[in-house]
Amino acid sequence: MSNQRKRLTGEREDEDDEDAEGIGEWERAYVDDRSWEELQEDESGLLRPIDNSAIYHAQYRRRLRMLSAAAAGTRIQKGLIRYLYIVIDFSRAAAEMDFRPSRIAVMAKHVEAFIREFFDQNPLSQIGLVSIKNGVAHTLTDLGGSPETHIKALMGKLEALGDSSLQNALELVNEHLSQVPSYGHREVLILYSALCTCDPGDIMETIQKCKKSKLRCSVIGLSAEMFICKHLCQETGGLYSVAVDEVHLKDLLLEHAPPPPAIAEFAIANLIKMGFPQRAAEGSMAICSCHKEVKIGAGYMCPRCKARVCDLPTECTICGLTLVSSPHLARSYHHLFPIAPFDEVPAFSSLNDSRRTLGKSCFGCQQSLIGTGNKPGPCVTCRKCKHYFCLDCDIYIHESLHNCPGCESIHRPKSVSLMEE
Amino acid sequence: MIFKIEDVTVYFPYDNIYPEQYEYMVELKRTLDAKGHCLLEMPTGTGKTIALLSLITSYRLSRPDSPIKLVYCTRTVHEMEKTLAELKVLHDYQVLHLGTQAKILAIGLSSRKNLCVNTKVLAAENRDSVDAACRKRTASWVRALSTENPNIELCDYFENYEKAAENALLPPGVYTLEDLRAFGKNRGWCPYFLARHMVQFANVIVYSYQYLLDPKVAGIISKELQKESVVVFDEAHNIDNVCIEALSVSVRRVTLEGANRNLNKIREEIDRSKATDAGRLRAEYNRLVEGLALRGDLSGGDQWLANPALPHDILKEAVPGNIRRAEHFVHVLRRLLQYLGVRLDTENVEKESPVSFVSSLNSQAGIEQKTLKFCYDRLQSLMLTLEITDTDEFLPIQTVCDFATLVGTYARGFSIIIEPYDERMPHIPDPILQLSCHDASLAIKPVFDRFQSVVITSGTLSPIDLYPRLLSFTPVVSRSFKMSMTRDCICPMVLTRGSDQLPVSTKFDMRSDPGVVRNYGKLLVEMVSIVPDGVVCFFVSYSYMDGIIATWNETGILKEIMQQKLVFIETQDVVETTLALDNYRRACDCGRGAVFFSVARGKVAEGIDFDRHYGRLVVMYGVPFQYTLSKILLARLEYLRDTFQIKEGDFLTFDALRQAAQCVGRVIRSKADYGMMIFADKRYSRHDKRSKLPGWILSHLRDAHLNLSTDMAIHIAREFLRKMAQPYDKTGTMGRKTLLTQEDLEKMAETGVQDMAY
Repeated sequence: MSNQRKRLTGEREDEDDEDAEGIGEWERAYVDDRSWEELQEDESGLLRPIDNSAIYHAQYRRRLRMLSAAAAGTRIQKGLIRYLYIVIDFSRAAAEMDFRPSRIAVMAKHVEAFIREFFDQNPLSQIGLVSIKNGVAHTLTDLGGSPETHIKALMGKLEALGDSSLQNALELVNEHLSQVPSYGHREVLILYSALCTCDPGDIMETIQKCKKSKLRCSVIGLSAEMFICKHLCQETGGLYSVAVDEVHLKDLLLEHAPPPPAIAEFAIANLIKMGFPQRAAEGSMAICSCHKEVKIGAGYMCPRCKARVCDLPTECTICGLTLVSSPHLARSYHHLFPIAPFDEVPAFSSLNDSRRTLGKSCFGCQQSLIGTGNKPGPCVTCRKCKHYFCLDCDIYIHESLHNCPGCESIHRPKSVSLMEE
Repeated sequence: MIFKIEDVTVYFPYDNIYPEQYEYMVELKRTLDAKGHCLLEMPTGTGKTIALLSLITSYRLSRPDSPIKLVYCTRTVHEMEKTLAELKVLHDYQVLHLGTQAKILAIGLSSRKNLCVNTKVLAAENRDSVDAACRKRTASWVRALSTENPNIELCDYFENYEKAAENALLPPGVYTLEDLRAFGKNRGWCPYFLARHMVQFANVIVYSYQYLLDPKVAGIISKELQKESVVVFDEAHNIDNVCIEALSVSVRRVTLEGANRNLNKIREEIDRSKATDAGRLRAEYNRLVEGLALRGDLSGGDQWLANPALPHDILKEAVPGNIRRAEHFVHVLRRLLQYLGVRLDTENVEKESPVSFVSSLNSQAGIEQKTLKFCYDRLQSLMLTLEITDTDEFLPIQTVCDFATLVGTYARGFSIIIEPYDERMPHIPDPILQLSCHDASLAIKPVFDRFQSVVITSGTLSPIDLYPRLLSFTPVVSRSFKMSMTRDCICPMVLTRGSDQLPVSTKFDMRSDPGVVRNYGKLLVEMVSIVPDGVVCFFVSYSYMDGIIATWNETGILKEIMQQKLVFIETQDVVETTLALDNYRRACDCGRGAVFFSVARGKVAEGIDFDRHYGRLVVMYGVPFQYTLSKILLARLEYLRDTFQIKEGDFLTFDALRQAAQCVGRVIRSKADYGMMIFADKRYSRHDKRSKLPGWILSHLRDAHLNLSTDMAIHIAREFLRKMAQPYDKTGTMGRKTLLTQEDLEKMAETGVQDMAY
């Protein structure tokens, strides 16, 4: 195609090429960076950096509301054991340069981070990788619990070629996931950079098939909203989002790390066999079963077959037992008892609120909540302890801390005594 | 929700209302109070129809002593059905809150083709033959004959309807065409005649423009409407063209030949009826002596075709002596046909005013102006007398008589243009004689004069001050409303240069320049790779579209486009286009993506919506000016300049820009929707062109988007699509409130409408 294009436009194209090579190194940095795009003209004509924090926060609030709305009323069940396939679209569109340095590199980078975060939050789950290239879906890795193998396979071949096919990818994933045990939650997360899908058959049938087999499909688009993706997500109960920039892409990806609410009719309580391996003694020498190498110390022993493994959590390669440590299980705990979303403080009512006049700083970071021009900035309040927090702390508390500092400090005597013990 | 606008309690079937809907209602209410006419422009997707319906029906409820009637004119049957469906929701809501006293009768009226339930009649393929098939079974003399001869086939539905006579009434309610058919089938009554009968009792009538504007039809259908009616013309941006078409006639060689055959047949009929029943012709003669005004009582129950465009004094006059006898009338028509035939044989383009045409007709064929004036009515009378039912076969002679009547009646506002061949194909002789009307106000004048309030509304009526001049009326209110939006969901752009910085335009001297064609192609290639799902392109004409697509095909641009999206093309064939549209939608649905190539002023540009993912981007290639060498257009421009002081350039730009706005407006049909519009021509950046776009597009057209090159447009498109893909907050934040609740309205009523911020 590119040859043809050259021939079409003839010499002009060549000239352009020369021009592109002609720019100096110092210029290229600016061209690549496109720093001017981060500026915005305000009403008085002054240039200001684009302030996206308010937008980000609004998006985050919406997400939180959505999650808690789903949880309201019934006690929510969450699938802690997830079987997730990540489908990455490596078609021609992935070579585009609108994310720096290219979509493909950005995707790989953030998927790597996501895989680590995912296993951190869902120690009991497994991931598999699938790529789409030349209109065909390829399995990069089968389902497995080791982040390192996935990342290695992912980084192996980074090239973008040909068309993209959503249907092929869904068919492949559906086939793979049809074999997982019934207590596992089947999910697929698609990173889609193309804007069309070239399918061999009727994709609507495939979507119905996914729906029937309880496959939750989520899509993160890299360029624009596509109807078919939206339809897919709506049908299968997944999330559809489109990344605005790199930071947003990262946020959107990480949103998929905590376990989603389980599909009601599918969530049957079940007992699962697990092993809690002991850490091998310092200095003991053994051949690990995962790398087939002699290792001194730093390993775990499977309680059933006594094989040595390097990392937890994993599945024992010899006897197939799921191996976890108790902190892993404990880490999954907060998914089941999340803290309630904070209420937004309306801008006008805060003026005559006596509490507001007293404490004008965020309870979390102690920074002033007074914005520019002595007007109160945006803030939120905890329903239980009625303390005020700034937006950054709001996100930090809900996403990372999973504890409200205000509520914790109310029970101070108890927690102090605990600490002393 | 229920709220008050001044002294009227408005029943609105939804919980929230857009601020512009509220303002629209306020203006409308003032118009009704003033008993005047108004022009209202409000973008599509803001619920214009429901605002209109709910205000007018509520107004009616609040004034029980002087009930007004609503006559709602739509362009297509599809729009008619949509309007009736909305009315149904509204009616249910009003009945729920007010009980049975709010009950109204609302009907949709359409042609026999859409309303007939007789399977044998429906088997006919087009509208005219359905009409004829119906007449063959329902005409009074056919029915009279059948009492003697049982072999003559009648329509059971019509017979039952006739038997029920005065009792054939519709119970109150809202009837769509489908409901009418079902009701008719159920009762065994003919829905078409029932609906026509019910027009005089109905509170709301929804029908097509033609029933009011076309003088031939208006006389039958709309003559019984009372003065206290509110007439609404929806989607009325082309109303001047509709008016003009209603009064324009074109005669070709085929028409003349057909008319000659018709005359022969009429002649035969006359001879036969002379032999069998001479008394009938004699009776007709006597009737005509007494004058046309009395014919209503004498026509034996069949509807007469009256012509409200004729001054009343003519109707009282007696038919001129030389056409009272059937044979004489046929002779006159023969001479007229001959004369027209001679005129058609010309080698040059000729342009004449009706006055000089009539005088030369008088000197050469010996037909007077007064005689001409009566041709149409005389023909109708003769056909009734001769009991001719297959009226569809007599269309050519009817056309000629229509022409004669118009020429005889109007001395101004018309011109006669004879062209020996089509300008674009000079080697094929195809003579055509056109009587073209230049004055849109002629056809609509009776409507303005007759009814209390006429509402002209559409999404694109800009510039709004031109319409009153074109239609020569004085509106009491003329306003353009903006759309209140929670986000900037349309992104208009003016693209003036290609990526190589060369200007692009479809100006006559530039349009075939390979650079322009290539730049247009490049633009589309780049756009299809970043816009998801559906893209629609509009070209200025079929011939230009054919040319540019052929060039793109040769240079491989089309191939590049096809790698990203499938390509569909509108053709002049309706069936083909429908199929293409259907497949286009399928391609958009399944994620393959598609491009639709279409033509401004075509069928697609006027009536098909490309909402949601069916149209994320619309590219308007060039400014869709009319074919400026057309003789008819030139004559009209001249007339407009002389009569209304509208400059040629102004009118052409206005007409082109309203078409362009209409095309790009296809892309957005509701507030939750979003879409981009690219005006790809350097002429759009000029202020005189741009300023004629409707306000709701202009308000989103930022200065930075006025002079873009392809690569800049690509960049803006990318950003826009990303922004729009983010979750949509329907209610809007405090600053930009776009959904008003009942409390908001009550608050507003206290503080006054003027303070409303948007």
